[in-house]
Amino acid sequence: MHLEIITPDKKIFEDEVSSVVLPGIDGSFGILKQHAPMISALKKGKVKVVDMSSARHQFEINGGVVEVLNNKVIVLAE
Amino acid sequence: MANLKEVRNRITSVTSTMQITSAMKMVSAAKLRRAQDAIVQMRPYANKLKDILSNLSSSVDASEGGSYTTQREPGNVLIVMITSNRGLAGAFNTNVIKATNHLISSKYSNQFKAGKVKFMSVGKKASDFINRNKYPLYSNENTVFDSLNFENVSAIAQKVMDAYSSKEFDRVELVYNAFRNAAVQIPTVEQYLPVLPPEQSDSKAAKSIDYIFAPSKEEIITELIPKSLKIQIYKAVLDSHAAEHGARMTAMNKATDNARDLIKELKLSYNKARQAAITNEILEIVGGAEALEG
Repeated sequence: MHLEIITPDKKIFEDEVSSVVLPGIDGSFGILKQHAPMISALKKGKVKVVDMSSARHQFEINGGVVEVLNNKVIVLAE
Repeated sequence: MANLKEVRNRITSVTSTMQITSAMKMVSAAKLRRAQDAIVQMRPYANKLKDILSNLSSSVDASEGGSYTTQREPGNVLIVMITSNRGLAGAFNTNVIKATNHLISSKYSNQFKAGKVKFMSVGKKASDFINRNKYPLYSNENTVFDSLNFENVSAIAQKVMDAYSSKEFDRVELVYNAFRNAAVQIPTVEQYLPVLPPEQSDSKAAKSIDYIFAPSKEEIITELIPKSLKIQIYKAVLDSHAAEHGARMTAMNKATDNARDLIKELKLSYNKARQAAITNEILEIVGGAEALEG
């Protein structure tokens, strides 16, 4: 699935990934391939990404929103 | 033949004008680079947010979307004009004024005749236009360019949104110059409120997606819509700011070129006049010498 992490300043991540963990308002949740369409608000916390070569990346965000649609994950961070 | 001293004075004045225009060009180029970075990096965020929002409003009833998505009959209209504080930027401000005139003479002509169209000016040139034509001014936000940041711009957005929710206006339009590149600005008219439903093309009609919402649809909408509306105005202001410097740079570049051509012409006629004066003097001397010999 395709992940993009965008802030008002710039795009900080764009690549194919195998999984991503996001800090939802009601607690962290993970997204894998073929996730159902979803829109969720995010709170301050860490975004953990595992890419196709199993390498891990981490990003700090100050809240935001995520949209999951047709194996495309877009994180609008702040 | 032009007077030597006159031509010399003109050369001096055109040269100093050229110095000013080329300095302004340089300043604009530097400012443009910064403004351009801001808008180019801002754009993907704004576009994605807009996409999410239009996906969201298609799966939401008007009643759920809060007041911002409810389509009302356009009775009272607010037109937000985003221009610059200074001129000398070619057709930059004229374009916004033209687009506004077009708006009130076609789409909102009935409302305008009934005096139901008000104007908000962002930038001195817009308030000059409104005052000159004695149009009803709603508010004046010229100070935003003094320190252009998200807080200041979102304060304007909040004001507009409050006025809209309290039904002071039923329709809000943005008029500004969108930034394409340094030489090209696109005059843009955008409906700001109510939030437009996404276009009902065939591909999108099938895309009435059943989203999962966390924590809940209402909470997301109440959080997301104001955020996106603020971003939208911020984007418009940044766009206009970058476009302004682009337009000024182009205008000043042309002015410098013109001044250079003018100086070339003036120098030529100065030299001609000088040559003529010298020839005259020699003729006089030769004539005098011949008269003595004669």
